[in-house]
Amino acid sequence: MAAERRPTGIRLLGRYGLLLFVAFATLFPIYTTLVAAFKPGDQVLVNPLLPDSFTLEPIMTAWSDGNLGRYLFNSLVVAVVVTVAQVVTSLLSGYAFAMLDFPGRNLAFALFLATLLVPIEATLVVNRRTVDSLDWLNTYQGLAVPFLATAFGTFLIRQALLAVPGELRDAARIDGAGHLAFLRYVALPIIVPTVGALALFSFLSSWNQYLWPNLITTEESMNTVQSGLTLLRRSSIDEPNALMAGTVIAAVPIFVALLLFQRSLVRGLTSGAVKG
Amino acid sequence: MLVATSDPALRCIDMESRAFDRRRWRQLPAALALLAPSAIVLGAFIVYPLVKAIFLGRQRCNSTGTRCVDAGWDQYSDTFRSTEFQHALLVTAEFALITVPLGLAFGIGLAVLAHKHLSGVGVFRAIFSSTVATSVAVASLMWLFLLQPSVGVLSNVGWIADAFPVVKQPGLLNDPGTALWSVGLSSVWANLGFTFIIITAGLQSIPDDLYEAAALDGATGTGRFWRITLPLLGPSLLFVLIVLTTRAFQAYGEIDLLTEGGPRPDDSTTTITYLTYGRNSIMATDQGLQATTAVLLFVVLLGLSFLQLWSIGRRVHYGD
Amino acid sequence: MKRAALPSLLMAASLFVAACGSGESAITAGQDDPDDVTTTEPPDQIATGDDTGDETGDETGSTTAPDDTETTDPGAAGGDGDAGGSDDEGATTAPDTAPTEIPLDGYPDCPTGALDDVDAADAPVQITYWHGMTAENEEALQAITEQYNASQDRVVVELQNQGGYLEVIDKYYQSGDNGRPDLVMFPEYGFQQAIDSDTVIPVEVCVRDAGFDTSPIQPSAVQAYSSAGVHWAMPFNVSNPILYFNKQMFEAAGLDPEQPPTTFDELRAMSQQLVDSGVASYGIALDTSIDSGGGWFLEQWFANAGELFVDNGNGRESLPTEVLFDQETGVEIVTFLRDLIDDGLAVNVGDNAGGSDNFLKMADTADPAAMTIGTSAGLGTVINVLGSGLVEGLTPNDVGVGGLPGLAPEQTAIVGGAANFVVAGKDPEITAATWDFVTYLITPEVQSQWAVQTGYLPIVDEAIDLEPLRTTYADDPRFRVAYTQLANSPDDLAHAGPQIGPHRQVRDQTAAALASIFNGGDIESTLTDAAATSDALLQQYIALNG
Repeated sequence: MAAERRPTGIRLLGRYGLLLFVAFATLFPIYTTLVAAFKPGDQVLVNPLLPDSFTLEPIMTAWSDGNLGRYLFNSLVVAVVVTVAQVVTSLLSGYAFAMLDFPGRNLAFALFLATLLVPIEATLVVNRRTVDSLDWLNTYQGLAVPFLATAFGTFLIRQALLAVPGELRDAARIDGAGHLAFLRYVALPIIVPTVGALALFSFLSSWNQYLWPNLITTEESMNTVQSGLTLLRRSSIDEPNALMAGTVIAAVPIFVALLLFQRSLVRGLTSGAVKG
Repeated sequence: MLVATSDPALRCIDMESRAFDRRRWRQLPAALALLAPSAIVLGAFIVYPLVKAIFLGRQRCNSTGTRCVDAGWDQYSDTFRSTEFQHALLVTAEFALITVPLGLAFGIGLAVLAHKHLSGVGVFRAIFSSTVATSVAVASLMWLFLLQPSVGVLSNVGWIADAFPVVKQPGLLNDPGTALWSVGLSSVWANLGFTFIIITAGLQSIPDDLYEAAALDGATGTGRFWRITLPLLGPSLLFVLIVLTTRAFQAYGEIDLLTEGGPRPDDSTTTITYLTYGRNSIMATDQGLQATTAVLLFVVLLGLSFLQLWSIGRRVHYGD
Repeated sequence: MKRAALPSLLMAASLFVAACGSGESAITAGQDDPDDVTTTEPPDQIATGDDTGDETGDETGSTTAPDDTETTDPGAAGGDGDAGGSDDEGATTAPDTAPTEIPLDGYPDCPTGALDDVDAADAPVQITYWHGMTAENEEALQAITEQYNASQDRVVVELQNQGGYLEVIDKYYQSGDNGRPDLVMFPEYGFQQAIDSDTVIPVEVCVRDAGFDTSPIQPSAVQAYSSAGVHWAMPFNVSNPILYFNKQMFEAAGLDPEQPPTTFDELRAMSQQLVDSGVASYGIALDTSIDSGGGWFLEQWFANAGELFVDNGNGRESLPTEVLFDQETGVEIVTFLRDLIDDGLAVNVGDNAGGSDNFLKMADTADPAAMTIGTSAGLGTVINVLGSGLVEGLTPNDVGVGGLPGLAPEQTAIVGGAANFVVAGKDPEITAATWDFVTYLITPEVQSQWAVQTGYLPIVDEAIDLEPLRTTYADDPRFRVAYTQLANSPDDLAHAGPQIGPHRQVRDQTAAALASIFNGGDIESTLTDAAATSDALLQQYIALNG
């Protein structure tokens, strides 16, 4: 932003002041949570804004009573499976739509995109029955299988592949046999940024699932972090410090992961906003 | 949704327009094989349940679903017109009216504020993006602890409780006048990181020379914002708008954790999704009725998508 | 402009919606045209069995996996004498009840002897138990379950906390045969629904099969979970509402902390004194949760007044067709409560989702209430929370407990809490193991320990003479209040408690009505409307289950 004159003096001070204020407001709920998570039970309501006492006990309590380690592990397993599967299925179908020319392609593509119009809530009533009849309640497959493919990912990959140079795409059409090899060794390296973005997007969406795990989990040990927190909220509202400690434990892994993958995150989230 | 219409594929679903091409048929088996994994999952867990739910929505069932009575398609119109659904639809619309404009305004405000060449601005960007790391459950529990009338933060800080007695009696989440706003604010906060990131990326894609040219023409700061920044942010804003609206219509976790659809008797935070799946839902033990409202939610969202694209999509400028 | 488009669209949609509302409840959706109503085969995904034309519970057995139909199909059993899969114990039935026994041919078997065939060294039988206990009560249940698992080597019980009664109910009915647990805890408002689900074995079948003696169990608890003479569920955690009060405040207001109010009139007078003396901002904290002030307490007050809550003998004779809470007694009770609030003697804490808001109102530093009404099952948690120091200046000993004040001079109660239901369609050794655990939970030793830790009352009298309950009842009479209250209750239909199919939905109606009335709504018309919706729910239930 070379055109913008650098603000000086009072304007600069005002701008920093505003930034600081907004940053403080944004962080306030996180701050109060952290304060409570490290306070003993008889102190937590005395001075909720000040970290005037410190103990690790709520964290220990939440970790052991709340079974959060197990929940985090479950969430991780499901999110990784969903992410890998979504990337693979999207690569395959996106490749088919971008690189192959076959009868009914446009209709099929339109049908794929149409599934984006269906809110997940409209399918859950029946999906729960399906998963139940497959005996998949309280299993990783029950948590993951309904989300192994995504029309959004298919679309993203297709768009990225359409940008692959024409000669390369023609090469793919000459020989029908080597599609997978072509995809793996020629196309994939070119669209790595898109794949990374999709992976991150898939991971976050899966990790943040709330209603589905709540619906199909009846065994405590198969809760994800999200449904586990629901359980914790019901059982320990009378121990606010332990509840907040549980919240902190549940949030930390994603905070850390996002710090590491900040750049991919931005790309992942913005990939939906690109011009189609 | 947004992405769909601007794609050429949708505008020519006409298969007959091309001549028969043997090579195209030869590629069909490979294409089918490549599409199969996605198609099976999407078919089994989106298309099939939707179709099934549409027919299930005609039924009234006992609690185990072993005995159902077919009530006909009327059940959809009856349910749509019922007091519960109408109320939920209004609450949902109000929730969207609270969260979408506030989310957009905060997102734009923060992005513009942090889009300056100031030292240390990177720290602020990280802070503003931070809520993207909070899932709905984490964010809602944080806000629950803030707002809870007896064991919450606000009610236990003396001067706040004195200045705003409502935080204690009956509590922001328990007062019919403030409950939806409180849930909405927690939702706006949780979405803030996302909106900030998208809009910041949009800002960064606006070329500097546009501002330079405008500055030469003598445009003021606010003038540049309205004439350049906002129009060129169009695609980003539209994306945020659609995502926020969809999230508002599908809001569930924050309501479940903060208010459970209450307070009674107004059911001030019972949205359509919460009416369908929530605690205390009158649908909970009747899968037929549950399917009815779930399908109605789909129809409402579908209508909304078309309305959005029809009325707004055409007016958005896509940058080059 | 762009940002304005969405709100305007939403407003337009809202107006459109408002213009075409029917003003009717979704409960009646699809019902106004009788021509449409035909019974159909349920969709495949929904059916849990291959035959849905069952009039009684006959089909429950055939909805199980093929490998165990043989032993659980009632058709294979001529009567309780040759219960399939059980050993010779099956022939033993309680001799004194035999002449008047109601035939149980239609129900699934309960082969309680099947556990004897299990080789413990080989592999113990695993059973799953769904419950809705939280806080202190959950910890107590965990301790008891661990004791049971350690006490023998044939059965291992796995507890699954669903987060609350509502979640237990929802998840149970959303589950098909595969997903259901072996043992499930339903509150009293899930009783009729469980019967009609055809998924549970009446414990009476198990009782007869095992020759189990139920006479030590509190008769009222057995009666509460019996329908048409058949004992369906084994009571376990029985509670009833009691009055909690702040002894310090009572003393400061010149009241006797050992003499809490026993009737509505006394409640009002003492509240007045507490408020007038400036000791407390409110006499009592009320709420409108369906589990307490919005539903359960109302039913308790009806029983106390000797009135039925629904018709058909409180639903005990046949499925009720009409609620009675909008009649004279209902108006009288609700008017009393509303006047308390209007006169500044009571405060309404609202939905009270966690069941703790009313208690926390007593601990409020600025505007405290001196009393509240809560389940006796909360006593253990209240004492524990106060002991932890969460609330400044209030120790466990400052809390007094009294019976539930009501219209009648005597304090009486309906059996509340929950009972254990044996789930049908399981392998014989699973059912036998479940039964073994069910009986363990009602042994005097367990009940004694359970009552002390939670505040639930013992359902076998012998528990009172055992430690630790004997000492607790002697030293801390607060724990005894709920027990005495139930023991004093007459054996009539009013105190049997209402038995309603859509019980929880009806409570939802009363809770909404009370919330509306406490906020200033007209008493009679609000109750009438809630009753009309409730009646529609009852009719709907009969149509689907009758």
